Amino acid sequence: MRPYLRLGVRNITQSKGRTAVTLLLSAFSTAVLIFSTAFMDGQHRVMLKNAVETYPGYIQITHENFRDNPGYENLIENSDTLVQRLQNDPRIGSISQRFETYVLLSTKEHSVGAMIAGIQPQKEQTNSILAKSLHRGKYLQKGDGNAIYLGSELAKNLQVKVGDTLAYIGNGVDYSFCADNVVVKGIFQTGLFQFDASSAFVSKEYFDHMFVSDNLATHIVIYPADIDTANELAQKIKPQLPPALHVQSWKEFMHTLVQAMELDSIFGYITLAIFFIVIFFVILIYTLLNIFARTREIGVLRAIGTGKKQIMGMLLFESTVLSFAGVLAGGAIGAALAYYFNLNPIELGAEFEKQFKQYGLVSSALPTTFEPLTILRDMGIMFVLCMASTLYPIVKINAMNPVEAMHHV
Amino acid sequence: MMTKVLALLLLCSPLLAQSAQEIIQKVEDNLRGESAQMELSMIVHTSRGKRTMKMQSYSVGDEKSFIKILYPLKDRGITFLKIDDTMWQYVPRIERIIKIPASMMLQSWMGSDFSNDDLVKESSIAEDYRQKLLASDAESYTLELLPKEQAAVVWGRLQMRVSKKYFLPTEVKYYDEKGTLIRILSYKEVKKLGDRFYPTYWVMLPQTEEKKGRKTEVIVKDATFNEAIDPAYFTKRALKRFSR
Amino acid sequence: MFKLIFKSALASLLRRKLRTALVITMIAMSLWGLLLMQGIYDGMVQQMIGNAVRSDSSQLSIFAKGFRAQPDVKLQLQKQQEIKNFLAHHPNVKSHISRILSRGLIATARYNRNALIYGIDPGAEITHASLNRYVVEGAFDFGDKRRGALLGYKLAKKLKISPGDKVVLSAQSMDQQIASVALRVKGVLRTNNLSIDESGVFMHKQRAKAMLGLENAHQIAVMVHDYSRVATLQTQLRTKFPGVKSYTWEQLYPALQQSRELMELFNSISYAIVFCTAAIGIFGVVLVSVLERLREFGVLRAIGTRFGVIAAMIFAESFLIGVAGFAAGSLLGGATLEYFAAFGLDLRSFSDALGEFGIDAVTYAMIKPEYFTTSFVAVFAATFLSVLIPLRILRKSKPVEVINE
Repeated sequence: MRPYLRLGVRNITQSKGRTAVTLLLSAFSTAVLIFSTAFMDGQHRVMLKNAVETYPGYIQITHENFRDNPGYENLIENSDTLVQRLQNDPRIGSISQRFETYVLLSTKEHSVGAMIAGIQPQKEQTNSILAKSLHRGKYLQKGDGNAIYLGSELAKNLQVKVGDTLAYIGNGVDYSFCADNVVVKGIFQTGLFQFDASSAFVSKEYFDHMFVSDNLATHIVIYPADIDTANELAQKIKPQLPPALHVQSWKEFMHTLVQAMELDSIFGYITLAIFFIVIFFVILIYTLLNIFARTREIGVLRAIGTGKKQIMGMLLFESTVLSFAGVLAGGAIGAALAYYFNLNPIELGAEFEKQFKQYGLVSSALPTTFEPLTILRDMGIMFVLCMASTLYPIVKINAMNPVEAMHHV
Repeated sequence: MMTKVLALLLLCSPLLAQSAQEIIQKVEDNLRGESAQMELSMIVHTSRGKRTMKMQSYSVGDEKSFIKILYPLKDRGITFLKIDDTMWQYVPRIERIIKIPASMMLQSWMGSDFSNDDLVKESSIAEDYRQKLLASDAESYTLELLPKEQAAVVWGRLQMRVSKKYFLPTEVKYYDEKGTLIRILSYKEVKKLGDRFYPTYWVMLPQTEEKKGRKTEVIVKDATFNEAIDPAYFTKRALKRFSR
Repeated sequence: MFKLIFKSALASLLRRKLRTALVITMIAMSLWGLLLMQGIYDGMVQQMIGNAVRSDSSQLSIFAKGFRAQPDVKLQLQKQQEIKNFLAHHPNVKSHISRILSRGLIATARYNRNALIYGIDPGAEITHASLNRYVVEGAFDFGDKRRGALLGYKLAKKLKISPGDKVVLSAQSMDQQIASVALRVKGVLRTNNLSIDESGVFMHKQRAKAMLGLENAHQIAVMVHDYSRVATLQTQLRTKFPGVKSYTWEQLYPALQQSRELMELFNSISYAIVFCTAAIGIFGVVLVSVLERLREFGVLRAIGTRFGVIAAMIFAESFLIGVAGFAAGSLLGGATLEYFAAFGLDLRSFSDALGEFGIDAVTYAMIKPEYFTTSFVAVFAATFLSVLIPLRILRKSKPVEVINE
């Protein structure tokens, strides 16, 4: 090892104050950055996941005119065949059909217009959180006849409980008249007020029988095997569809929510930046104190012929070692935390549940994300920051001439 | 010379307006009468094919009406009652009388191109609109109907053609506020039914892109006018009672 | 004595200009960031609350009992005139308005949507909570014949209509019939109160009364002079008018109230973390400065200076740094906040996303005196904590040994 590097090592081990503070702070800030990123990303992921899985799904196939004009003219024909053809694709986790229509729900005293959808209960369990949002009673299952699964606000407006009977009136696909009595099997609460106030579900078998919608659907919803590739998968499905159909990933049909999450991240990073400014200054101050305490020593080194470059090298070596060690330690702590809370989501108390529901968070459990690449990125950022905070004193001391430095008190 | 023309115009315009009103009044009388009993078929055409319904209707003026579905068997016994602006429906399958709420008024009636609101409000052309005679040729008058400012109608303008021979409408065009044609209702095949001539074939043809390929036909099979109808038909109890 | 202490502290600081400057900058920068964050986040939450209060609930809302659970048109306020008289003479009531509320349908020739119908008195709304300021298109006006309507902007977009267009509104009336009325859209509102933007339709109160066959209103909304005494008003209402129930905005919008609490908690945590870190920085500088002058202090002790005086000198040094940092930081932060309070933080490019949360596109920062008092306490605590250890070290050192070293 070259002599000045050895000097550098000695300096690190001897000036305990600076070493401790630099290590602690760089480790702390790295851990904070990694954890905050993991927490924020995790929170956004849960919010998006909830919003997507509450009902819309990751990928939707519809008739190309359905979104503008949701009527029986714009249906997916031969939906069974299409689903059969698509479901062999290994990139598709699960695929289900839905048929949505607008009916009048009615009890003896109250009548309310609402959306009713025929769903495939089993498949819908992975495609949406309808099953998990169960509030009272039971979720639907295959073979359920006239059993209805009702939004909590809708149940409230109709003043019905589990086990009560209500009637619906609507039109079948052939525009025939459709009406039947159904028994409330379960009541769900997703927390999305509008959805809970206007949606009801029955099993698609029963629905098809009543609404004459065999082999027809308004939506085919796909849950990708890897949810991060929803966009790409949607692109790949496009050419396999008949020309009148349209496929979109959630990033397209929920883009305002995606944008909202990005905005929230920006605010999060700005807040973190405030912490990092302080940390930057503290490391700067400690490096400065340490290096200036050695002004005389450096003057002597220069006087006996050590080059500016070598001294610069020594000082840079010191801060590199310190920053690297700190960032590494912090990275390990941050990654460990991110990993731990990824497996054991943070539980926020029930008192905040309402607040979260407003933003589409169904549960108050927030798992962090654990993504090695993001962690490495954050470590890189912190390493650069730590190094940058030591540069000023290093440059400053190198600008002194040896005699000046030797006489420095 | 000028004064003469002016005097003539002043004389004529109220006359014209008067006659527009008169035309509408005659048309309404001819279409409705004091009371009417009819047997109708309704055929709804969609891109998915067609569907036929048969029904019996009873009405008194434009305030009260009662409709009973006879065919298809699946829907037999469904009854509707309209009194003034309110509509009830009875569905034997669920054994329930339902009052159609405000939020459903503009929904399609029995899957057709008529809305619940059309049935309820069909009434008030003379009341809700200002009439103007646009043109007159050998066979028909063309009238423009502009809704009165306070009238609760969604249309921007109606254009009605009335046959001079029968004082019956032949065609009504419905425009929105921006002047876009939304739908056309045609009345054809005038025949002698009971005491009067009556259009026995009606077609509602939506014009918007969203409803392309749709059409609803109504065929009047039989009708009697101005004969007494049992007032029991126009009570809420009738919904259930006359369902069978 | 004090003069001397401060002079020596000042001299010591000036001797090490660079590190003094660094520490002051550190405090100033962190303070600047914290003040900015606090002011802007507070501004955001305050705007959300303001929007809910101004557009809907006011500070206190009075409904007939049971109306909140099942908003039936028939549940109009009983003894409305008595309540109004009571409110008019109540010293804590600034202003009050009454509204008609109903659920119904809004339709054009092509589209129809569910609507939340508000029957309002436009003049009263302007003086009560300046509802007119939410108009983004058209005007806040129902016309001479009171046949105008104001719509939430999302609703207007869905129905594809703008001012000048006609709409037909239908709702269940008192006599159980469906009542309809034709209105002309006069203006479009963006309140950022989600339910109003998505389905709110405002019409003239008299027109709504006539349409629905009502005699009284459904809601009386109250603004008070002193919100902290609103509970008293609620109690008085409860005893005087047992048929009605009053709700504060917090009771009507619990999620917003929680947002505010969450934000306050978040702010205090941020302050704690930032100033603990800053304290470490100050500590380093003070420690080195003490160590460098051990001999100097040894001499002072040897000639009989009390330890208290020396401690005061060190503390004064740290305190001076803190005050300078605080002054610079609050000037900078205060000025920036003033700017954002006057001109707002413009996030219009994120307008849609913000709308999703019900946040205005332009956020006006808040400036509260508490910001500066809290931050002063935080700075003071940081400077105080940072001298404790250096003082201990100094106390342990033996004057004679130090001098002889």
